[in-house]
Amino acid sequence: MASQLPRRIIKETQRLLADPVPGISANPDESNARYFHVMIAGPDDSPFAGGVFKLELFLPEEYPMAAPKVRFMTKIYHPNIDKLGRICLDILKDKWSPALQIRTVLLSIQALLSAPNPEDPLATDVAEQWKTNEAEAIKTAKQWTLSYAQA
Amino acid sequence: MDDEDMSCTSGDDYGGYGDEDYYNEADVDAADDVEVTPTHSEEAEYECLTVSQVERVFLDGMNQLTARIPVNDKCARTLLEANQWDVERVVKLYRQDRTDLFRRSHIDARPEPKRKLSATSGVKAKGYCTVCAMEGHAELPHLACGHCFCEHCWKSHVESRLSEGVASRIECMESNCEVYAPQEFVLVIIKSSPALKQKYDRFLLRDMVNSHPHLKFCVGNDCQVIIRSTEAKPKRVTCLACHTSSCVRCGADYHAPTSCDTIRQWMTKCADDSETANYISAHTKDCPQCHSCIEKAGGCNHIQCTRCRHHFCWMCFGDWKSHGSEYYECSRYKENPSVAAEANHVKARRALEKYLHYFERFENHSKSLKMEEELRDKIRKKIDDKVNEHNGTWIDWQYLHKSVSLLTKCRYTLQYTYPFAYYLTGSPRKNLFEYQQAQLEKEVEELAWAVERADGTARGALEAHMHRAEHKRQTLLHDFFF
Repeated sequence: MASQLPRRIIKETQRLLADPVPGISANPDESNARYFHVMIAGPDDSPFAGGVFKLELFLPEEYPMAAPKVRFMTKIYHPNIDKLGRICLDILKDKWSPALQIRTVLLSIQALLSAPNPEDPLATDVAEQWKTNEAEAIKTAKQWTLSYAQA
Repeated sequence: MDDEDMSCTSGDDYGGYGDEDYYNEADVDAADDVEVTPTHSEEAEYECLTVSQVERVFLDGMNQLTARIPVNDKCARTLLEANQWDVERVVKLYRQDRTDLFRRSHIDARPEPKRKLSATSGVKAKGYCTVCAMEGHAELPHLACGHCFCEHCWKSHVESRLSEGVASRIECMESNCEVYAPQEFVLVIIKSSPALKQKYDRFLLRDMVNSHPHLKFCVGNDCQVIIRSTEAKPKRVTCLACHTSSCVRCGADYHAPTSCDTIRQWMTKCADDSETANYISAHTKDCPQCHSCIEKAGGCNHIQCTRCRHHFCWMCFGDWKSHGSEYYECSRYKENPSVAAEANHVKARRALEKYLHYFERFENHSKSLKMEEELRDKIRKKIDDKVNEHNGTWIDWQYLHKSVSLLTKCRYTLQYTYPFAYYLTGSPRKNLFEYQQAQLEKEVEELAWAVERADGTARGALEAHMHRAEHKRQTLLHDFFF
């Protein structure tokens, strides 16, 4: 479909494979080099510790002028991630810059797992819980991690 | 007190019109008899400008600024655009804190990104562009911030932003860098593509005109005219090129005595019948800063307007910056559900009845106006016939023509009193308004009756009707519009 894979994507892919970010793996699909199968390990300091979360990442035709499309495939209890796995993260929307990379995006998502931001919620019910009863929210997040995010 | 207002107004403004007007039979004066001279004009003071004349307006502003502070033309343009073309304000901010002004106007970067840049670029090979990951570029253009990218990537970036309708606010490609690409930079980048240049010029002119508080595009179809006016009141402008009339402030149909905000609310409400309007009201909100209509396409309530880049909360419309821990106050349901549901049901019914009352009258006058267009044609024909039959001269019958014109004018204002009344609160003012509205309503209908039967009505009587209707209209506008 795409005429030729841009050098930028080839280089990013090479680097992701040769020098992976700790706790993150990203592998291009065999049939489509713009589609990546991503795994992010739940950060140790978070309620998602011990879980492995599957994501999909797609580089649209306009990439890097437009942001990659990223979505959680694994169910997760997080105020900035909704039922469909969509992520509320500024750099995936208006704060996207062509100088950002797949690597930086995945790092930001990893950081989002460590630091949920209920002030900027996507899943409002989860955010509400996170703000009113954080202990309970963290307990639920741990339960979900155990139930859904085991490798 | 209301009565005092009334008599005072009529005494001051119309005292010069005595009874003799009604019986004045002199042909020479006939045309002016019914003209009630208002103290205020409904027409805004304005001028119609071409694109090159508008460019001169911008140049004047820039020259004023460069005479006051040591900046070049291009810089002056950006500073003014970012500050509503207020020279005094820019000079003041410049003297207060130059660095801050340049940063806020997106001319210079904050110092941090520069450090970050030097750290990363040191590792890279020569002529390396981080966006396309290619080496050996002869040139790596950059903005004032110093972030270097190759020309090809800059062009793709500009193209991508233009496709989203962004022209004067194209940001640097570096993450978190808020410097905007100035016109001369963009023009160099897209010099090889006339199509892009054309698009850029068009959008840039739009952005510049929108940034200037005294400039507005004419709302006429395909009209290139830009209207310049310093009018603060929502008065009427008529484009000299395409003859389209509109409100000088908001560009909608002229709507005295109603205000721009009210008429926007009203028109949205009136369009509510259609499915599109239902969708718009259910799924979109207006940006609290620039009033662009925004559709929420994702779940996130932190919205940034693509037009004015304002950050706000979808729930409470507050500025996102000041949006702290009290966020959930704006989504929390506070009322007792069962009581609230019943009360809301009754309230909704009553609200609907009230709305229909005003809407029916508004709509009815709108229809009458259309039908009186036909009446105008009929009268024109009647005048022609009479003149052909040697029954008076063309000038003799002009009063008939004038009577329809006046009827249209009065009915038009009357139509727009209904949205005003709908949103009017506070009883003494509302009472006075509704009294005057009723007076105007009565006079307009009597005039319409007289005009439709103009043959049988004596000229003096018709002109008395005309005078009274215009008098009521002026009184109402004077008390509630000017």
